[in-house]
Amino acid sequence: MTEETAEETAGELPERYVDEKKLRRQSRRDFILFGTGAFAALAGLWWIAPLGSKKKVFGEHTADALDTLAARLGATRERSERFQNRALTFDDDIAEALYSPNRTVRTYSKRDITPLRNNYEGRTPSPDYIKEWTLTLTGLASSNDVVLRLPDLSSLAQHEQITRLCCVEGWSAIAGWSGVRFGDLLRAYPPAPGAKWAAIESAVNLDGNGNPDPYYVSIDLPTARHPQTLLATHLNGTPLGADHGAPLRLVAPMKLGLKNIKAITKIAYTVDEPRDFWGERGYSKYDGL
Amino acid sequence: MTQMDADKPADDGKALTDSAEEASAEAVAVDPKPIEEVPVEEPPSDEPPVKEPPVEQPPAEETVVDAPQISDPRPPTPDSHPGTRLVVIKHHALVRLSHWLNVPILFALIVSGLSIYWASPVFLHKPDPVTHSRDYLADLGIAIARHIPGAKADGFWFYDHFGLGVFNLAGALRWHWLFVYLFLATGFLYILGLLLGGGYRALLPRRRMIADGFAMIRYYAGVVPMKILRRPWEHPHITTKYNALQRGAYASMPIAGALALASGWAMHKPVQFWWLERLFGSYDGARIVHFAVMIYFILFLVPHVVLVLVDGWDTMRSMIVGWSGRIGGSHD
Repeated sequence: MTEETAEETAGELPERYVDEKKLRRQSRRDFILFGTGAFAALAGLWWIAPLGSKKKVFGEHTADALDTLAARLGATRERSERFQNRALTFDDDIAEALYSPNRTVRTYSKRDITPLRNNYEGRTPSPDYIKEWTLTLTGLASSNDVVLRLPDLSSLAQHEQITRLCCVEGWSAIAGWSGVRFGDLLRAYPPAPGAKWAAIESAVNLDGNGNPDPYYVSIDLPTARHPQTLLATHLNGTPLGADHGAPLRLVAPMKLGLKNIKAITKIAYTVDEPRDFWGERGYSKYDGL
Repeated sequence: MTQMDADKPADDGKALTDSAEEASAEAVAVDPKPIEEVPVEEPPSDEPPVKEPPVEQPPAEETVVDAPQISDPRPPTPDSHPGTRLVVIKHHALVRLSHWLNVPILFALIVSGLSIYWASPVFLHKPDPVTHSRDYLADLGIAIARHIPGAKADGFWFYDHFGLGVFNLAGALRWHWLFVYLFLATGFLYILGLLLGGGYRALLPRRRMIADGFAMIRYYAGVVPMKILRRPWEHPHITTKYNALQRGAYASMPIAGALALASGWAMHKPVQFWWLERLFGSYDGARIVHFAVMIYFILFLVPHVVLVLVDGWDTMRSMIVGWSGRIGGSHD
């Protein structure tokens, strides 16, 4: 026991004779660094903090006064947004570097299936649209647009998979999907040379008041070609209802749920990165899991 | 210093009885570091065993060299070392830097994490008939706000005052990613500082930790009652850098940090890091661990700050300047 004590306490608190002037100088330097750092941290946090939080915690007047001062010193709202968005794109770059087209998403068995909630941001469209539904493909190699109806897709091989849908909000659900592979559609109707992206749109999407509010996502073609990226027509063995994006929705389980667009009406192949609904609202544009 | 202890009967009680001449002569022979050495930016000289035999040291250097034994109770000897001060080297510069960087980083990670959590709480109960809340954290906010004059006691209060607000998922995620990369970088700096400064030694588990831990719990439990009763209540004798409870708590911090990162990445990239997700059992398993680690950080923080304030200025200062004036780890 004494041996252990001796050995393990050794070197934990080394003592030194240090030149007093040097000690004072270095300590002063460390205190100055500490103070500067503390101030910089507070100022930095203030700079990037949401306006609402600042007003709630410090009161309207103090928050406004400090924000005015910050803006005069160059720490403006616009610069703060740009800086924070860079953190988002940095994380996207990391995610893209991690992505492997050969890595498959974990699949589950039927008994793992959980209820899937309808997470339409606005109102769920009335199922009336399903009868007249068509899918328009543009940006094709043939340079003519193609308009498809559901039976046109039945010539493609049908696939089934039970995968997890992860929402950016934090919840997730395991669901069984069946439909055609996006990759098979790309082979059947090849995009124009040089295309790198698919701009996928739903014209039937509604806002909270029930007014038309088209939803759109960007999907990179390598993700679209992934064998587990489906254009699904069925959920757990039954045709999709209006709540889950009838008659055709995207199932890309290697992307967050918000990329898994419901009730697709148009797919455009593009060279440049298309706009993305949530990407325009402060979220990541990549959303790779 | 390890060498010194090896050929010496390194029992604390014995060391106390050693003659001053003997101890300082030995220290002179063993420690080759000159006193001009920067105390804050260099690893303590005792870390690696001395490479050359001490006899090879030039005599000129020996006169300015000293490093008394750890438990040496002698006061600083200004006569033999004019213009110098005897100090304890406590924290490597990188350890101090990462310690203080973690203050704003953990703050930002927790407040943004709470706003992310708001979007879809993982711990839910049946809706409350009055408040309609299903979320325990919202309940907590309602309970607090009811005692604050003028506060609106609704389910948003908690997230508005302890988080980055409600309906701010995008903004909170952006913060979380920004600070998690800083947290990761800081973690590396901390580990590097522990290795360079030898501070890791004070965190390694010891056999006597359990018994010593109970002694500390007994001490803490009695310290306030005994103060009220005005009875003497002695702090257990500590010869190590930290007492057993501190040792356990500080050693658990890098582990908790690693767990927070692992569970966070398991949620953030469950497809690419599928093995991490499996490690936590399930996707929600990772969420629960992530949340539990946050609670652990907060539970650590309260006694950590209280005890530093109680312990005094020297302890607080040592985390800024790196050295302590408490020779021999003395606890007054």
